[in-house]
Amino acid sequence: MSVIEIKNLTKYYGKARGVIDVSIDVEQGEIFGFIGPNGAGKSTTIRTLLGLIYPTSGSAKIFGKSCTTNPEVRQEVGYLPSEVFYYDGMRVIDLLRYSASFYRKDCTKRINELAEIMDLDLKRRIDDLSFGNKKKVGIVQGLIHGPKLIILDEPTTGLDPLMQQTFFDLIASENKKGATVFLSSHILREVQKMCERVALIKDGRIIKLERMSALQENNFKRIKVEGLSDLDKTIFDMPGVSKLENGGKTASFLYRGDINNVIRKLAQTEVSNLSIDEPDLEEVFMHYYSKDG
Amino acid sequence: MNIVLRELKANARALVIWSVCMFLCVISGMYKFTAYTSATATGPSINDLLKTMPTSIKALFGFASFDMATMSGYLALLFIYVELVAAIHAALLGAGIIAKEESDKTTEYLMVKPVSRTAIITSKLVAALLNVIVINVVTLVSFLVVVPLYSKGGNASGEILTMILSMFIVQLIFLSLGTVLAAYMRNPKASGSVATGILVTAYFVARITDMSDKLRFLNLISPFKYFDLGRIVAGHGLNLGIVLLSLALVAAFTALTYIFYQKRDLNI
Amino acid sequence: MNMYLHELKSLRKSTIIWVCAMIAIALMYLSLYPAIYRDGAHFKDMLAGYPASIRAILGVTVDSVTSLLGFYAMILAFVVLCGGIQAMNLGMSILSKETRERTADFLLVKPVSRAAVVTAKILAALTMFLITDLIYYAVASAIAFMVRQSSYSGGLFFMINFTLLFIQFIFFAIGAVVSVFFDRLRSVLPVSLGTVFGCYIIGALIAAGKDDWARFISPFRYFDYSYIVQNSRYETPYLITGAVIVVVSIVTCYFVYVRKDIHAVS
Repeated sequence: MSVIEIKNLTKYYGKARGVIDVSIDVEQGEIFGFIGPNGAGKSTTIRTLLGLIYPTSGSAKIFGKSCTTNPEVRQEVGYLPSEVFYYDGMRVIDLLRYSASFYRKDCTKRINELAEIMDLDLKRRIDDLSFGNKKKVGIVQGLIHGPKLIILDEPTTGLDPLMQQTFFDLIASENKKGATVFLSSHILREVQKMCERVALIKDGRIIKLERMSALQENNFKRIKVEGLSDLDKTIFDMPGVSKLENGGKTASFLYRGDINNVIRKLAQTEVSNLSIDEPDLEEVFMHYYSKDG
Repeated sequence: MNIVLRELKANARALVIWSVCMFLCVISGMYKFTAYTSATATGPSINDLLKTMPTSIKALFGFASFDMATMSGYLALLFIYVELVAAIHAALLGAGIIAKEESDKTTEYLMVKPVSRTAIITSKLVAALLNVIVINVVTLVSFLVVVPLYSKGGNASGEILTMILSMFIVQLIFLSLGTVLAAYMRNPKASGSVATGILVTAYFVARITDMSDKLRFLNLISPFKYFDLGRIVAGHGLNLGIVLLSLALVAAFTALTYIFYQKRDLNI
Repeated sequence: MNMYLHELKSLRKSTIIWVCAMIAIALMYLSLYPAIYRDGAHFKDMLAGYPASIRAILGVTVDSVTSLLGFYAMILAFVVLCGGIQAMNLGMSILSKETRERTADFLLVKPVSRAAVVTAKILAALTMFLITDLIYYAVASAIAFMVRQSSYSGGLFFMINFTLLFIQFIFFAIGAVVSVFFDRLRSVLPVSLGTVFGCYIIGALIAAGKDDWARFISPFRYFDYSYIVQNSRYETPYLITGAVIVVVSIVTCYFVYVRKDIHAVS
C-alpha cells in the first residue's frame, strides 16, 4: 500500500490557482523529492495532504486515510514547515513536551537524543532563539515521536552547511529505520543527494514524475565540443539539442535522444576535444522550467 | 511624506468604520432626546427638588449635574459616551500606528530605508493626527446636522463646538498616551491593551467621582474629567489653564515617544 | 486534555489581571456605599416638606437606589462591562490566535481533530470565566457584607452576580463566531472593544426603557436588575435570546472552523 496517495488533486483559492490535477504515489520506505520553483504549488499540496486545507476536488491520503476525516493518522506523521513560529513565552523543552503530549508514546528519551544531535539548548526561551535555532526546534519537534512518514517543506533554509549535513544524516537514519520521507524543496542538490524518485511541479501541475536515476541518465547528456577551427553552427541544428552555447571553436549543449545521431553529425567536422557527461539535476530542471514556459 | 500617505491608506478603512460609528452614536443618542425631556420636565417643583438632591443620589439616578430638560444638558450626557468612543479610537490608533511595524514584522523593511526614526515617528504622528481630526469633523458635523432636527428653538452650536474642542484635546491625550506606551513597552503588541486598560480605568474613575465630592482629587488621573461639562453647558467655555496643561501633557507624551523610540531595540 | 491544560496556562496571567480589575471596581464603589446611604437618608428627611404623592414616589426610588442591592446592581453594570470586554477579547482571540501567531502549522498537524481543538479551547475559556466569576463573587460578597447598612438577601445577591457569567458567555460566543469568519484580522482589540462598548452605549442610551425592543440588541440589557430584585427571577424572553445566541454561535464556530482552510504563513 502507498504511504502517500494523491489522486487528481485540484485546489483553487477562489479563482487563484493552487494546484491542478496532481497525482502522486509515495511507496513505503522511499525518499521522495518534490521540486518546483516558488509558487508552483508545493506547499498547497503538502497542506492538503496534512488536512490544513481542503481540496477543491480529488483526494490526498496518508496511509490510505484522509487527514481531515481521520486526524489520528497524523500519529505517524512528522512535519517540518518551511517557516517555524511557536507560542510566545515557552522554553524549548516546554514546547517539545507539549508536542509529545499529543502522541501515545513516551518521547522523553528521544527528545534528549535529538537535542544532542541537533545541538539544541532545551532550557532557552524560544522567543530568544535565532531563525536557524528555531528551525532546529522544528526538526526535533517533528521527529520526537518516531514518525513513519516525515514530511519536510524546504527543511534546510536557515541552517548552516554543517547543520544541513547533520540534518540529512538524521533523515537518512530515520529512513533506514523504515520511515518514508517526502521532501519538498527548490534546492536541487538536496533532492539529488537524498531522493530515489522525484516529482517536478510547475504552475500547479506535475510535469514530470520519475526515478531520479532515469531522470538523469536516460534523457539528457551534457555535450561539449571543441573544434580545430570555428564550428559550423548548422551542425547543431537537429532535434534534441537545447541550451546551445556556441562560442567560436567551442560549443556546449544538452542533448536528448539517440546519442548516435549526434556522434554521426559531429563526425562530419574536425573535433579536437569532446566530452559527454551526465547533466546534473539543475540542468534538467532548468530545461523543464525554462522551456514550455 | 510617503510614510504619511502609507499610514493614511493603512488606516483608511478603520477610519471610515469609526466615523460611521460616531455618526450612529450621535444620531441614535439624539433619537432618545424626546423621551428624556418628557420624562424629566414634569414641572418646576421636581426641578427644584433635583437641585436639593445630593450629588451622589443624582449620580445614582443618572442625571449627573446637568439639567436634562434642556438640549445642552442632554447633549452633555450624550457627549460622555461620544467622547468615550473617540478616546478609544485615539488610544488604539496611537498604540497601533507605532507598534504595527513590529507586530506585522515589517520593521526590517522600513528601518533599512534611508529615513531616521525621528522622521518615521513624525510621519506616523501626522497621519494619526489627521485621522483624529477627521473623526472630530465627522462628529461635529453629525451634531450640527442632527441636533437642530430635535431642538425646539434654542441654538446649542456654541456648546457643541466647545464640547468637540474639549473632546479633541482628550483624544490628543489618549493618542499620545498610546504612542508613548508603544514606544516604551518591550512587547509593543500589548500596548493597545494597556492603553485601553488605562482608558477604561479613567472612565470608571470619572463615573466614581460623580458620586462623591470627597473623591474629586481623583479627577486628576481621568482626562474625561479635565473639562467640566457643567461649565460648558452653562456657556462658560473651556478653562484656558486646563487647556494649556492638557496640551503640555500631550507635548510631554509626544516628546517621550520620540525619545523612547530612538533608544528602542526593535524586535524583529 | 493536554490542549485544555495548555490553554489554561496561557490564559492564567490575563485572567488574574481581569479578576483584579473587577474586584478593584467593586471595592472602589462599595467603599462609597455607607456615605451614599447616609446621603439618601438625609435626602428623604428633606422630602418631608413635599406633598405626600411626590414623597411616596421619590422616597421609594431613593430607597431602592440606596439599598445595598440597588446600589450594587449599578456597580455591577461596570463590572459586567469589564467582564464583557474580557469575554469578547478571549472569544475573538482563542481560535484566531493560532493563525495570527502562525502556530496553526504546529497545532493542526497533530493527531487531533479540529473539533477537539475547538472543544479544548472553548472549555478552557469557560473554565476561566467560572474561576474569574467565583473569585469575584467571593470577594464582592465579603465587601458587601462589610459595608452593609441593613440586612439584604444573599440569594438575590447571588442571582444578580450570576448575570455576569451569562453575559460573558454571550460575548465570548459572539467573539468566537466573529473570529472564525474574519481570521485575517491583525488585531482583535478594536473589534472587541468596539462591539462591547457599542452594546454598552446602546444599553445606556437607546435601550434605557424597560420594555424596549432595543433591549434585544444589547446583551447588557438582557438583565434588568430592578426586575430581578423585585421578582427574584430573570426575564425569560431575554434569557432565551441569550441562550440562543450562545448555542447558535458555538455551533457555527465548530461548523466553520472544522471546514476552513488554514493558509500558509505569508
